[in-house]
Amino acid sequence: MNLKKSIVPIFLAFVVYVVFSGSLSIYDISTGIVVAIVAGLLFSEILVKNVSKSLSLMRLGHLIRYAFYYFFVAEVQAHLDVIKRILNPKMPINPGIVRVPYEVSSDYAIVGVAGSIINTPGTVVIDIDEEKKLYYVHWIDVSTQEPGKCRQAICESFEKYLTKVFD
Amino acid sequence: MIDLILTIIGEILIAVGVFCSLVASIGMLRFPNFFVRLHAATVGSMGGSFLPIIGAGLIALGSDFPDKWMFFGGLIVAAIIVMLVSPAGSHALARATHRARVAPVEPKVTDHLKEDEDEKEGEKD
Repeated sequence: MNLKKSIVPIFLAFVVYVVFSGSLSIYDISTGIVVAIVAGLLFSEILVKNVSKSLSLMRLGHLIRYAFYYFFVAEVQAHLDVIKRILNPKMPINPGIVRVPYEVSSDYAIVGVAGSIINTPGTVVIDIDEEKKLYYVHWIDVSTQEPGKCRQAICESFEKYLTKVFD
Repeated sequence: MIDLILTIIGEILIAVGVFCSLVASIGMLRFPNFFVRLHAATVGSMGGSFLPIIGAGLIALGSDFPDKWMFFGGLIVAAIIVMLVSPAGSHALARATHRARVAPVEPKVTDHLKEDEDEKEGEKD
């Protein structure tokens, strides 16, 4: 029960409670504080490993920058690409499973990069090899089979932002 | 004025979502195998449900019924949960299907995962 470790989980739980209830009455805020403290203390051991990382505002700033890049650039490009392939009468697909090496190290970053890859249409992470540091990615348009170039095309931009956030 | 802008943005988001859902369903029918169909399903989950949920939230915020903040907040939290959890579902489906080898990866350019799995099994024997 480390109170410093629990600051971020408590704050997150409180924000989710207030946003979900959508009111700022005294009843809601006091219930939110009690529930958030209980939930945050219970789950802080699982959620937070490194206290100074979780309290760093720089990392939060990088996360917000990443969210903007992800929603307005990466997602839009990938959606337009796959929509074009679906609607094209010739259906120009070139599918295959390729090895994609990654260079991030913490669990949050690995899951974050994999989730970003899956959530952009056109790439799905099928399996992961943590010893060799490889994702196996099903890619709708295999333009190259060389691991380095695959990394450049699929996940380098996500890793660039998420290393700053989680590593 | 601000209510009108919020409603219009919400309606645009819902229209984009309808388009994405329609294209995703066409893709589900046209694509050749399970793994390629997963890409169409991703269009349906991000463009087809994440955007319209946020759009519905903005429309709720722009109208004038009581407790509108509750609808807005609930829908935003629901959208974020859809965004965080849907990749886990896609990945679980893809991994289980590939391990059980129930769906052929055809047509394909290459399948490095099968090569590496076969290599590992060869080492064990």
